[in-house]
Amino acid sequence: MRQKSVVAEARQIRIATDLIRLGARLQVLEAETTLSRERLLRLYKELRGKSPPKGMLPFSTDWFMSWQPNVHSSLFMNIFHSVNTAAAIEPVEALTCAYRLYSEQVALLGQPAVLSLTRAWRLLKFFECGMLALARCTRCAGRFVVHAHEPVRRYVCGLCHMPSRAGRGAAALH
Amino acid sequence: MNTDQITQEIREVNLACLMLAQQLLRTDRAEALYRLGLTEEAAAVLETLTPAQLVRIAAASTLLWRPRVDDELVWSLLASHSRDGSAPAALHASILMAGRAGAAVAA
Repeated sequence: MRQKSVVAEARQIRIATDLIRLGARLQVLEAETTLSRERLLRLYKELRGKSPPKGMLPFSTDWFMSWQPNVHSSLFMNIFHSVNTAAAIEPVEALTCAYRLYSEQVALLGQPAVLSLTRAWRLLKFFECGMLALARCTRCAGRFVVHAHEPVRRYVCGLCHMPSRAGRGAAALH
Repeated sequence: MNTDQITQEIREVNLACLMLAQQLLRTDRAEALYRLGLTEEAAAVLETLTPAQLVRIAAASTLLWRPRVDDELVWSLLASHSRDGSAPAALHASILMAGRAGAAVAA
């Protein structure tokens, strides 16, 4: 779709700029803005000084289920819901806002941002199409990312019941 | 601390919070609502207040902001993190607090 209005296009460029600065892949930009692929490529190169990485985006809900990604995804989803319910903003703006708040929070805790912006976007898509959902932990009452349609009546989160290897190994927390 | 000192300290904290809230709302509204735990409606009123009004509102016997954390579980997670730097405890507390912000708004 061709954007005629300059103001509307400026807004699209601002959204794309935010997404690129936060580390979005090209596929995210194409899905979330109405700008053409060529414009997005030029914008990407201008902001990052290099071409965007090529290749497919990771497409699996399983990544969100392993311990550390699940903790980070759950934190992001909780922030996203709060932002989205509190403010009347577009979904893509809620994404960038929640992602900034998520990165800020993990940085303050001295943790790496395990969830990339592209993963966060993917996560929201999985929620939209009903493949992932939030379940309430029966111990701490926090809400955590789970496979949709899974029995959650006795759900206990990975932080109340830590697996013995959690936080060790390659993706060490400390 | 005598009563005069207490009310003065409270007034200063209140005024600082109100001024910070106005600044945050002007910088990035959506982010500010999350950080402050305010509703859109309350924020709309807060934004219009003049400095003189802020000073008058700040003079109160109680704090204007309520703690985001008011249960034993989250406090003990925060305490555990502050004591030994436990990353899981810190992340756990963050998740619970981020969820609380939404619940408060939705209620």
